[in-house]
Amino acid sequence: MTAAPRTLPGADLCVHCGFCLQACPTYLTLDDENDSPRGRIVLMKGLAAGTLSATDDAVGNHLDQCLGCRACETACPSGVPYGQLLEQTRAETATARPIGFLSRVVLATFAHPPLMAIAMAGARLLRALRITRLLARVPGRLGNLMATLEATRRGAAASYPPAPVTRARVAVLQGCVMEGLLAPVNRATERTLARNGYALCSAEGQQCCGALHAHAGDRETARALARANIAAFEQSGAAFVAVNSAGCGSAMKEYGHLLAGDAAWHDRAAAFGAQVRDVSELLAEAGPVPARGAAIKVAVDHPCHLMHGQRLSDPPARVLAAIGGIAATELPDAAQCCGSAGLYSLAQPALSQRILAPKLNGIGASGATIVATGNPGCMMHISAGLIRAGSDARALHPVELLDAAYATDHQADHQGGSR
Amino acid sequence: MDPLTGTLSAIVGATHVIARPSELIVYENDGLPGYHKLPRLFVAPGNREEAIAVVRALAASNAPFVARGAGTGLSAGSLADGIVMVGMQRMRRIIELDPVARFATVEPGVVNANLTKAAAPHGLHYAPDPSSQTACTIGGNVAENAGGPHCLKYGVTMNHILAATVVLPDGEVVRLEAPRDDEIGIDLLGAFVGSEGCFGIAVDVTVKLTPNPARICTMLADFMTVDGAAEAVSAIIAAGIVPAALELIDAGTIAAVEASIYAAGYPTDAAAALIVEVDGPIAGLDEDVAAVGRICRAAGARTVRSATDAAERARLWQGRKKAFGAMGRMSPNLVVQDAVVPRTKLAPVLRAIAEISARYRVTVCNVFHAGDGNLHPNIPYNASDPDEAARVHEACDEIMALCIAEGGTITGEHGVGLDKLPYMDALFTPDSLDAMCRLRSAFDPARRANPGKVVPIHRCKEWLAAPGVEA
Amino acid sequence: MTARPASTDELATLVRDAHARGAALRFEGSGRWSDGRSPATRISPNAKRVSLAALSGVVSYVPNDFTLTVRAGTTLAELDAITAPNNQWCPLLSWGDDHGTVGATFATATAGPCSEALGRPRDIALGLEFVDGTGTVIRAGGHVVKNVAGFDLTRLMVGSFGSLGAITEVSVRLRARPTADVTWSVTADGPNAREQLSRIRRGTITPLACDVLSDEVARELGVPALSALVRFGGNAALIAAARAEVSTIGTIHVLDASVWTRYRSLDPHPRRLDARPLDGAVAGRIKERFDPAGIMNPGVFGERA
Repeated sequence: MTAAPRTLPGADLCVHCGFCLQACPTYLTLDDENDSPRGRIVLMKGLAAGTLSATDDAVGNHLDQCLGCRACETACPSGVPYGQLLEQTRAETATARPIGFLSRVVLATFAHPPLMAIAMAGARLLRALRITRLLARVPGRLGNLMATLEATRRGAAASYPPAPVTRARVAVLQGCVMEGLLAPVNRATERTLARNGYALCSAEGQQCCGALHAHAGDRETARALARANIAAFEQSGAAFVAVNSAGCGSAMKEYGHLLAGDAAWHDRAAAFGAQVRDVSELLAEAGPVPARGAAIKVAVDHPCHLMHGQRLSDPPARVLAAIGGIAATELPDAAQCCGSAGLYSLAQPALSQRILAPKLNGIGASGATIVATGNPGCMMHISAGLIRAGSDARALHPVELLDAAYATDHQADHQGGSR
Repeated sequence: MDPLTGTLSAIVGATHVIARPSELIVYENDGLPGYHKLPRLFVAPGNREEAIAVVRALAASNAPFVARGAGTGLSAGSLADGIVMVGMQRMRRIIELDPVARFATVEPGVVNANLTKAAAPHGLHYAPDPSSQTACTIGGNVAENAGGPHCLKYGVTMNHILAATVVLPDGEVVRLEAPRDDEIGIDLLGAFVGSEGCFGIAVDVTVKLTPNPARICTMLADFMTVDGAAEAVSAIIAAGIVPAALELIDAGTIAAVEASIYAAGYPTDAAAALIVEVDGPIAGLDEDVAAVGRICRAAGARTVRSATDAAERARLWQGRKKAFGAMGRMSPNLVVQDAVVPRTKLAPVLRAIAEISARYRVTVCNVFHAGDGNLHPNIPYNASDPDEAARVHEACDEIMALCIAEGGTITGEHGVGLDKLPYMDALFTPDSLDAMCRLRSAFDPARRANPGKVVPIHRCKEWLAAPGVEA
Repeated sequence: MTARPASTDELATLVRDAHARGAALRFEGSGRWSDGRSPATRISPNAKRVSLAALSGVVSYVPNDFTLTVRAGTTLAELDAITAPNNQWCPLLSWGDDHGTVGATFATATAGPCSEALGRPRDIALGLEFVDGTGTVIRAGGHVVKNVAGFDLTRLMVGSFGSLGAITEVSVRLRARPTADVTWSVTADGPNAREQLSRIRRGTITPLACDVLSDEVARELGVPALSALVRFGGNAALIAAARAEVSTIGTIHVLDASVWTRYRSLDPHPRRLDARPLDGAVAGRIKERFDPAGIMNPGVFGERA
């Protein structure tokens, strides 16, 4: 069964040069061009032209196996908008090839705040009861899930006073997983921004960013969530929307593209997208204010949606460079996906682990105790891998490290007297 | 089901044999879009033993095949038209790297740039650097005798291959080594390098590693006329300077690159720019740098600047090396030519190419290894417009005829493959083409390795004499 | 009696005739390669001698292209004289002497002391014309410095010792002669002297040549024992730096460049003749296809003629 031909804008930019191959984690893992950007573009063009069928499982699997990490975009000389091609293809083949049951449950939960609240509370309970720690190393999916939850455990954070306001008004995206399981990262985000002179305000009514829905092909839900967020942040009066989750930030910067066909919303979406900043961009813009902090060895990993999606690698480096105690080195495969990729670790658990394996080896070889990465999925996936490998190293957000350094400095300056 | 599927699956495992047409289409072409040939089967051996077993199985069932590295070739040379494609991408181990004796032995699927990355901690690199080096494989480089910008000083692939273990199409495994100065022998390795997959499959390759130069100076000179840039190229070479690389990019190419993610800061208002790199020991290099600057200015360069740090140098090179890809944004299709002319003919040939492109109303973007006289006139076009496609085709024929008439050749580094096959008759006599066929048939008497490529079949007397063959 | 064809066509006619009759041919350039160590001594004694010396002279030379096409009988001395006025050279500098011919040098792939730095015959040949064992005239490669059109008959012919065909014309890559070109003997002492001297080869400035001499050769050349014969080329600043670096390894004595002529004539690295190149399946099939009657220098590779 083949559908009527559709257009796939941007696919024709591909000249088949193959420069994307070595950037693609699934190609490097599976050694098949069907699992490479160049190959998937051929498949997507075939689906669009109607020469391939969306019900062809082989084709569908190759597209499902794409992480959506967009590392290929950073390697592509002719500027193929790969991420957009993939989202469009997944949306347009969603009827013929429905989203998997587990993924649908998760997506529905993310789109409904009350359900999300219940899920997050349940997860926090498991964590508080230390069931996650107990089961983190049992084999299989349960152990993986428990390790992933255990990876969100954080100690108590110390506080320090903000600086006088000298910069713009900023509203922080609270996010779903961030606020639900990694609330300390949100608090660290707020404290570090305030320490750097930003005025914080809240955006009532904000929701899930919709990135996962768009990636999975459920663009309608993604658009509904986008409209809700645009409205919420508009009425907050913030000049910037600060995002500490690379995946969310990447999606929100592209709301203009998501709502391109919506005459009533397109301009608002584009304007909103222009206000979105990764937290590291705002901190780097302000310096950030330097800190001494404790001496630690940090391995740096780049979240795909920061490096490839938003083309940002310098701002997070500047955040870490502001911390005097940190000795930071980039992981050898820092530009390559860790295998988390939104729902990917749920939908493709085995492949996700194969893709993570070389990164875990790199972390071990680096001798670092901390991996800095600015995305909740990556933090959880990498930490879970480390926990299951019996390593003591953990992945943290760069703002957590900056926050801790400010707190340490503050404590030292106020107990031992200022230097 | 294809009877070979089971045989090959038993060797390499079912996941590495592809038989479904919907999955074979990704292997329909190489780096030159415009040619599409669906393979009969795709098989990817994971190591030397599997590769040998695969070739033997194909020999046993008399099945023709084509080996393929990363599919970045620009001559449609690795297309498998209804025959078996042997993908080498799984064989990507560096078997041995000896920093003292300065060689490495690698599997054929090792990516060119990854070999240099592995050699870097020892202050060494693998010198041939095709623009596709971040993707192309050593095996593919050997098949095509690949070049690259730095081949001007360091030589092409052939000059850097020390040995190869080859499984011949009939399944025999032979060891080919570069002849030693104190021995005698037929240079079968020299004949094998550049044989475009028609002589067998290399299962390991031993390459020279080259010490990194102590100092590298990369200069960018921009010109308001293409003639001026071409003149500077000739003058630099005539002055006896051997730059590590000497590349020319014209206005059309600059525009494409500057619009891409690899924007390098090339001046968009210039008619042409030269990238001139000189390298070597620190002593004596300043003199060469100064001489290059003087020569460029004398030839009319508006500005000559040197990259101030490694990052800027990398940027200048990335722009050049990704130029073909960057042209993708101009039109859906791209013709990539690869002719060579004597260096002193560069200026008149470029003028003639401009005249041809105007006459056929096509856009020619030139980006090429000027120091070698190795032209890459690229023509972005829309293949779905039959009129434009026809004009592009005719312009190409005329450009090729021009380069041959000027004493040049039809391909300097991309190989003949399918794409340049029609020009072979214009370049070589029937007797010379037949001699090539004879060489090929010594490696592959049954003509099962990459059939239909490189030499037009109507020029092969022995083959035509075989029973049941039609030209 | 030795045949001396004056043109490629004459040679082709001669070979065609020999092919038809199955008559063996023995090709030579200047006729000087028959000393006891040469593979030529193994060529069937019944073979008719064919000298290619008359096929000489420049076919084309555009100095600024840095390429040159000459007929095979041109001597290395003539080649040097042709290119010198333009400050160019074809740096074969092969073992033997400059009366040897270009055709023989490529047919035998004879290297020399500068080959590591400046290229071997297989690196220097851009293309050639030859007459195969059926008397067919074949053009391989081209005249430009980069060329991958078709299968590489040039590399096949270089070093094939006339067993597949007789080379009639060669196109070569030229280089600019270095502005400064110095020759030194460098002397060291101590138990590791030889090893120490060989480090010159791996210095930051690569020499054009660096051979650590055997005592016998050193004596012949009249240089001290435990010497390396070293040559550097480049601009003055480079040579000065090389001198500074080499003087940390040993004592430098400046020599006249003519020492290379004497050194090359000593040929300290004679060919080993134990290999049987045509025994391999591929080479054997090549021989069958280029010299089906087995008339081209039969026996030169030690095969049964």
